[in-house]
Amino acid sequence: MTTSRRKFLKQTASGALVLGLGQDVLAGEHTVPRAETSLRILILGGTTYLGPYQIKRALERGHEVTIFNRGRTVPTLFPEVFSKVEKLRGDRSGDLESLKGREWDAVIDNSATDPKWVRDAALLLKDSVGLYLFTSSTGVYYPYLAPAIDESTEVVTEHGPATGGADAYGVNKSLSEIEAREAFPDRAIIVRPHYIIGPGDPKDRLTYWVVRIDVGGEVLAPGDRDDPVQLIDVRDLTEWMIRLVENGDAGTYNATGPGSRLSSAEFVAGIRAITASEVSFTWVGTDFLVEHELPYMVPWVAPRGDMLGMSNISPARAIAKGLTYRPLAVTAYDNLKWWKEQPEERRAPLSDLPRQREKDALAAWHAREA
Amino acid sequence: MPTTRREFLRASAAAAGALALGGPGGAAQAAQDASGAASPLRILILGGTGFIGPHQVRYALARGHTVTLFNRGRTNPQLFPKVEKLRGDRDGDLEALKGREWDAVIDNSATIPRWVRDSAQLLSGSAGQYLYISTLSVYRGFPDPGMHESSPVRELDDPTVEEVNGRTYGGLKVLCEREAEAAFPGKATVIRPGLIVGPGDRTDRWTYWPVRIQRGGEVLAPGDPAFLVRYIDARDVSEWCVRMLERGDTGVYNAVGPRAHLSMAEMLYGIRAVTSVAVSFTWVTADFLAEHEVQAWSDMPAWLPPRDEYAGYGSISRDKAIAKGLTFRPLAVTASETLDWWRTLPESRTAEPRAGIDPEREKAVLAAWRAR
Repeated sequence: MTTSRRKFLKQTASGALVLGLGQDVLAGEHTVPRAETSLRILILGGTTYLGPYQIKRALERGHEVTIFNRGRTVPTLFPEVFSKVEKLRGDRSGDLESLKGREWDAVIDNSATDPKWVRDAALLLKDSVGLYLFTSSTGVYYPYLAPAIDESTEVVTEHGPATGGADAYGVNKSLSEIEAREAFPDRAIIVRPHYIIGPGDPKDRLTYWVVRIDVGGEVLAPGDRDDPVQLIDVRDLTEWMIRLVENGDAGTYNATGPGSRLSSAEFVAGIRAITASEVSFTWVGTDFLVEHELPYMVPWVAPRGDMLGMSNISPARAIAKGLTYRPLAVTAYDNLKWWKEQPEERRAPLSDLPRQREKDALAAWHAREA
Repeated sequence: MPTTRREFLRASAAAAGALALGGPGGAAQAAQDASGAASPLRILILGGTGFIGPHQVRYALARGHTVTLFNRGRTNPQLFPKVEKLRGDRDGDLEALKGREWDAVIDNSATIPRWVRDSAQLLSGSAGQYLYISTLSVYRGFPDPGMHESSPVRELDDPTVEEVNGRTYGGLKVLCEREAEAAFPGKATVIRPGLIVGPGDRTDRWTYWPVRIQRGGEVLAPGDPAFLVRYIDARDVSEWCVRMLERGDTGVYNAVGPRAHLSMAEMLYGIRAVTSVAVSFTWVTADFLAEHEVQAWSDMPAWLPPRDEYAGYGSISRDKAIAKGLTFRPLAVTASETLDWWRTLPESRTAEPRAGIDPEREKAVLAAWRAR
């Protein structure tokens, strides 16, 4: 897909950055046009990462939002938007009382990894809600034995004998998808994101790279330069989810990014581009990283065995339904900016351990070269 | 989104604390810098309306200096309506410069030694410092790694020649440097920039890459992905020139970036990062490009073929300039602002770019490469 000039301008205007010019996306300075029709949207879960972005976007578009959860997680992302939503208390595991007798145009289910949770909620809501958007995962394809994957690739619905439980997540997600489709035939939207990254990421995935490269010096770059990597900016994902709901686009979609193949070399160089630090990359081979227990330098994952096709999952269908992408530099820049605004205790996880592991691995790599 | 200087400064000033876009230097630093210099200078700029001149003027004004421009009034005469403009001609009419005083002169516009001699000698009693914009082309090729400011320069067989062409350009600039130093002994600053890039570039050389990548599809990428590139953002060199005047720093300096080695692949992939188009790069060997008459530098800007005379190009020393405060914007800033600027140009200007292989030839070369 080629992004049209107009789209690009719109995107850079809102995403935009730009790199120092820009407005602060988190501060929400840009204006989002309101949707033609205001929808009532119920979000199950919705306090940690995707939820706050979905709520923010939905409100900007003029929708009404209800959230349903246990009320235990104190939102840290956009805490201000939570005062503008209706809050229902309950528990996916057995207490759905507060959902009864209500109507919504759409429900977004972010929080289920147990098919029973989806079954219970979906059966309860099927007559009172129009659409059921289930946030699944590309994990449904695990093990990723096909070198290239799209939505026609078979998903795994039974636990394999030899995986030692590594497939539990994916199996539960694919069984959950089935529950959603059964309760909402032709009204289910199944979104399968890859690694979700960007400002607010609780897992520090892209954050590791932007912080590491911004610090500078010799950086361990993983695998073969040409290995593909995939990731999706949380804002691209959640804005598109709201669009899917608005458009009533039922179906199953891989939500991977970017829109065209991104190599490991393009990924690290793209992040380097947002800094003026003194950086050099040392490319360390896949075999070595596997031997040294670094097969996951997310988004890079050693493309072999069960992970062969993990980073080659087509987003073509999602793009056809309006998924768009911020430039990598925008995502990386905003992620770094967000990180630097975090309190020290939040930043602690990235301060020592990962760097020591990288240092050890580089030392071992050089020792082997010598 | 044509971003004005002011918006840029305001936004990057806001981001400055948290961001350190590039540690010491970069946009954040520029914003801080622009907040004002220690003591205001009276700066005369010879030229000043081309590519780097306007960046110097804006920065100098933002720093609180007083600027006078001297030129023929032919290039971009609408620029800087509030700045004093003296009319004249480097080639024979310097009347307007007589009887005036300045703290410093920036000479952007001289390629002929006589021009530097005439203006520098005229101003030697009335200006404190003479900053001459020279070029990396003064060097006798780049055969060795780590070449620095005292590496051998070109000597013209006939030092009276005034014809500027590919053979004489470097040697003429050497003579210009000597004229500046002769008229301002110990008070001359000679800046030797490499490929100057960014918003306002009239050559379209480096601009080719962001524009091409933004167009998407299969991009012809030249030679060895590991080839080390050198370039400098016009703002980085312009702003640093003004800071050099403020401190009265003299001497000869290479002005190239970026700070750390950057390969051709890292540059192109870094430019890709400011776009979200579908794009792929096909690396074609230097030999194949030569066979198909794809020219380094003009068709493939910022790239040089792997020849002995260029072996040290990627490692030209910039330590001396960095020690004197030269800083570098991040690549993504240069690339995205170059694209922003390009979009503001009329189609009559962008339809026929002045550098870079044209799309049809690129397609043909890629097809031939696949068919080989």
